[in-house]
Amino acid sequence: MAKGGTSNAAHLRAKKANNFWGTVLRLIKYMSTRFWALVATLFLAIAATIMSAQAPHILGRATTEIYRGLQEGRSLQEAGETIDQFPIDFGIIQNVILTVAIVYVTQAVFQFFQQFITARIAQKTVYDMRKELKEKISRLPIKYYDTHSTGDILSRAVNDMDQIANTLQQSLTQFIISVVQFVTVLIVMSLIDLRLTFVTIATVPISLILIAFVAPKSQKQFANQQRELGNVNDHVEETFSGHTVVKTYNREEDEIKKFDDRSDRLNDASLKAQFLSGIMMPLVSFSRDLGYFGVAIVGGMGVANGTMSLGNVQAFIQYVNQFSQPVRQIANLANTIQVTIAACERVFEVLDEEEMTEEASGLEPKRNTPYKVEFEHVQFGYGDEADDALLMNDFNLTVNPGDMIAVVGPTGAGKSTLINLLERFYDVKGGSIRFEGVDTRDIPKPELRTKFSMVLQDTWSFNGTIWDNIAYGSEEHGHDRDRIYAAAKAAHVDDFVRRLPEGYNTILNEEGTNISQGQRQLITIARAFLADPEVLILDEATSSVDTRTEILIQKAMTNLLENRTSFVVAHRLSTIRDADKIIVMNQGDVIETGNHDELMEQDGFYADLYNSQFASYEENEDYA
Amino acid sequence: MRKVAKFMNPWNVLITVFFMAVQVAGMLAMPTITANIIDFGVSEGNIDYIVRNGFFMLGFTLLTIVSALLNVLFAAKESQGLGHTLRKKIYRMVIYFTNEELDRFGTSTLITRATNDIMQLQFVMMMVLRTMILAPFLMIGAGAMAYSREPKLAFVFFITMPVLGALIWFILKFSSPLFKSMQRKTDNLNRIFREGLTGIRVIRAFNKDAYERERFDEANWDFALTSIKANTIMAFMMPSMVLAVSVTNILITWFGAQFISTGDMQVGNMVAFMTYAMQILIGVMMVSMVLFFLPRGQVAAERVMEVLETPNLIEDPATPKKLTDTDVSVQFDNVSFRYHGAEATALEDINFTLNKGERLAIIGGTGSGKTTLANLISRLYEVESGQIKVNGIDIRDVKQGELRRLIGFAPQKALLFSGTIRENMKYGRPEATDEEIWHALDVAQGKDFVSGLPKQLDSRVEQGGGNFSGGQRQRLSIARALVTNADILVFDDSFSALDFKTDAKLREALKPDTRDAAVIIIAQRISTVIDADQIIVLDQGTVVGKGTHEELKANNPVYQEIMESQLKGEDI
Repeated sequence: MAKGGTSNAAHLRAKKANNFWGTVLRLIKYMSTRFWALVATLFLAIAATIMSAQAPHILGRATTEIYRGLQEGRSLQEAGETIDQFPIDFGIIQNVILTVAIVYVTQAVFQFFQQFITARIAQKTVYDMRKELKEKISRLPIKYYDTHSTGDILSRAVNDMDQIANTLQQSLTQFIISVVQFVTVLIVMSLIDLRLTFVTIATVPISLILIAFVAPKSQKQFANQQRELGNVNDHVEETFSGHTVVKTYNREEDEIKKFDDRSDRLNDASLKAQFLSGIMMPLVSFSRDLGYFGVAIVGGMGVANGTMSLGNVQAFIQYVNQFSQPVRQIANLANTIQVTIAACERVFEVLDEEEMTEEASGLEPKRNTPYKVEFEHVQFGYGDEADDALLMNDFNLTVNPGDMIAVVGPTGAGKSTLINLLERFYDVKGGSIRFEGVDTRDIPKPELRTKFSMVLQDTWSFNGTIWDNIAYGSEEHGHDRDRIYAAAKAAHVDDFVRRLPEGYNTILNEEGTNISQGQRQLITIARAFLADPEVLILDEATSSVDTRTEILIQKAMTNLLENRTSFVVAHRLSTIRDADKIIVMNQGDVIETGNHDELMEQDGFYADLYNSQFASYEENEDYA
Repeated sequence: MRKVAKFMNPWNVLITVFFMAVQVAGMLAMPTITANIIDFGVSEGNIDYIVRNGFFMLGFTLLTIVSALLNVLFAAKESQGLGHTLRKKIYRMVIYFTNEELDRFGTSTLITRATNDIMQLQFVMMMVLRTMILAPFLMIGAGAMAYSREPKLAFVFFITMPVLGALIWFILKFSSPLFKSMQRKTDNLNRIFREGLTGIRVIRAFNKDAYERERFDEANWDFALTSIKANTIMAFMMPSMVLAVSVTNILITWFGAQFISTGDMQVGNMVAFMTYAMQILIGVMMVSMVLFFLPRGQVAAERVMEVLETPNLIEDPATPKKLTDTDVSVQFDNVSFRYHGAEATALEDINFTLNKGERLAIIGGTGSGKTTLANLISRLYEVESGQIKVNGIDIRDVKQGELRRLIGFAPQKALLFSGTIRENMKYGRPEATDEEIWHALDVAQGKDFVSGLPKQLDSRVEQGGGNFSGGQRQRLSIARALVTNADILVFDDSFSALDFKTDAKLREALKPDTRDAAVIIIAQRISTVIDADQIIVLDQGTVVGKGTHEELKANNPVYQEIMESQLKGEDI
């Protein structure tokens, strides 16, 4: 829970693409499967933009005609004639309006279809990327998840994907349109009047200089703001999660003071960031207004001395706007695109991770072996390099069908390593683990894993009904109501589910607050019951289960263990004493193996461990 | 949203609005002056007039930019300041929440409300202070200017503006539910992805990769379809707005030509009208943008206000009694408690007395009420009936801070804070010396691993203590409680992640240190409680057994059952 938030903050802190163009090309490749749609949307965008650039010019012709009629009428008046109407040619105006109406409507239709297609390209591209990422997740080795924080992967799948989705949907078309608009308007303007074009362009450097001046400062402040925001978020997350500790240790005022300091710093930074980013638009508008001013003056003089038409001046007044708009957009988008490409890069990084490989062991299967599971000279370590220290150097163990193997050791002894190896989350570095004589590397993972079932210490349930969560245990029996019911009963899930208002349809929420940790554990046990495996792996399966329920589970489990081989990571004495073999682990390695009596006789680590437990009872006996 | 407004500085808002008004006035002056230039300068060939008015324009441009900058400044100040104020308030509020209120909201939503929701609110407020005010000013201003210059032609706006408004209203009406559902679907999508990560081992062990991919694909496709739909509706937005303005331009040209030909109108006004039309369009676009974001801000505001308006259930008494340090004791008299809104009581009629130097153990299964009992001692919840006395005084009669200073608490979830080990150890008593810390670590069986770290007490602790194992965290959390030197020590299931050996050693080491303290140990394991002076067996909130290990072993069936399950076959 804590992980998600911190990495969110961390995620916001660093954003810079390493290989900008390479990533851009790769992103384009994603869209290239929709090549024709892409061409169509580009064509429509360009066509619509060209039309919108033409419209003011065409409409300007009407103004020119009106002005011409006006001037002609004036000169007639000056010549002494009386006219009741200025000689404006309404035929021309009608034509102009008709033409411009067609242009406007076509432009609108084009624009609509362009966005219509873009929505589909963008969403389907993002759909593809999400799908690919999810598929990648199922092909990456467990090692990847053990060495990368969940928060970091999530942030790539969630925040970065969102960023890409938004940019593809909104910013990309905007960017294309802006570029096209900038170029077309420039061309159209220069075809109409070079002097006014020059005046209009002259304002662009002004806005560029202003943007160039403000943008880096604004980016810096934004980075600042994100950093401070991260600090504030971290503090909130930490102290809200540790609320009980803060209260019981009387630290409310200190934490409030710390928070206020951080919030003050954030406020400083965000004020600057918001101000600097907020003035970008007015600054661009300012340069647009300067252009407007220039066009009015130069154009006014031009019309006055007869070297320009009024319609063209009027068109340019609109062009000033059409021309400054893309400059502003591109300036705005430049940052967004940077951020998005960086996001793409992080997603691609996951997609480029090395996948699991299946390597055959090259070992002959042993026929007629009496053992269910066999460890032969197993070597293992988590490191990748050849010279990395091994945790296990030469581990040997034979397990008869129906044996219960207890794994014991102090906290952090590396008991989960055994699970990792049995389930083949990791492969051995040397030696062999055999299931019924066959090296486990030669059994396809799905097949191997239907034979093994595990109940981990970290209970995991998904947002679904209790029913679905139990059914999760088996593909084969997942639809068999009777079997699910039986599994629920066997794991004593049934007892408490009956008391829930929604019964088996109760949806487990993500934080698991609607059922207790112990009940959650029961559900994962029920899942294992349903799976009905040949080998059962229990990782402190009952550590947080109600002690009384535990008795019942013990009974049910004894049934389940019958004719079934099992590995139990145990803390409880009874389990250990009943075990056929005990594996004693310390610091990642197996240091002793044998049954209880043998190990006690050895008088080694196990004996010490056992006695320290036993001692408290003896001591108590003395009191009595 | 309205409730949030009372946290704002009205002067700043007023100044923001003022500069916005000036900015709009400057913007509106531009087409007006242009029209004048055309009608009086260009038509008459009056170059002087053109230049003079040109400088007017320049002046207005400068006025516009200066007031725009000031508007941004004050808007930023006010929107960020509002967030700042609310953030501080909500933080103070939540830190002082009782667990009751915390449970009701849930920690994660409170975190979101104090961070993301406030950010949303700031963002929307900035938009409101900038564009939301600008738009109506601009629209009304442009309309009024147009009317004052040429009332005859102004009717064009009365046709196109309502049409435009209706268009946008329709588009938003149809798209906003879709956008809301998109938000839900993204959450769903992300949740499935997260589940896929956190459950990676289970998923693989049960061969559920294909199922997970399918589940994700379904949600992914569902989301894609909805967003395509929403964006298709949005695709109508721009073209229809542009079309509305185009129609306006055509109408202006057509009717303008008629009026000019009869000498009823100046040609410059026509050019000005087109600029007004564009300004109105900009205004409408801005409003639509704000309207698009406004609901988000409203939701955020509601969520923030909901927290701020939650009354704190536990207040300090008006005239608190003093807690004396003599005669350390904890006493429960007929204490009953039920969680907010629960039907059944979580604890029913609990009675016990614990004196100085004694050790009380509480054992019971999950959901039996052990943690609830521990939390009641520190007054994290309020009893429903009966009373809890500490050192002979009802805990409701003393200040909460004073009460908690007396108690060293190691909560069930051994949570550490980011910082160094030393900082964590000093959390309950900032003046503790290194020597005292090492001693506490020694007792808590944490000395060995801490002294094995390269930086020892200065070692980094990640958020929540994530860089230490569960057992290490528990030992650090126990040491932290010990450093306080409190008279009453409460260990809420603090030994569960320790192996038997460490558990036993720790309890042994605790003895000399807690000779003058009252110790409460909550546990699930018999071996942890075996040497307590007094053991209480809890089952579903009621005391079903009370006595020493020997007494309970002899005649308490629940205790026997627990023993049976844990020490099966052991002859003791």
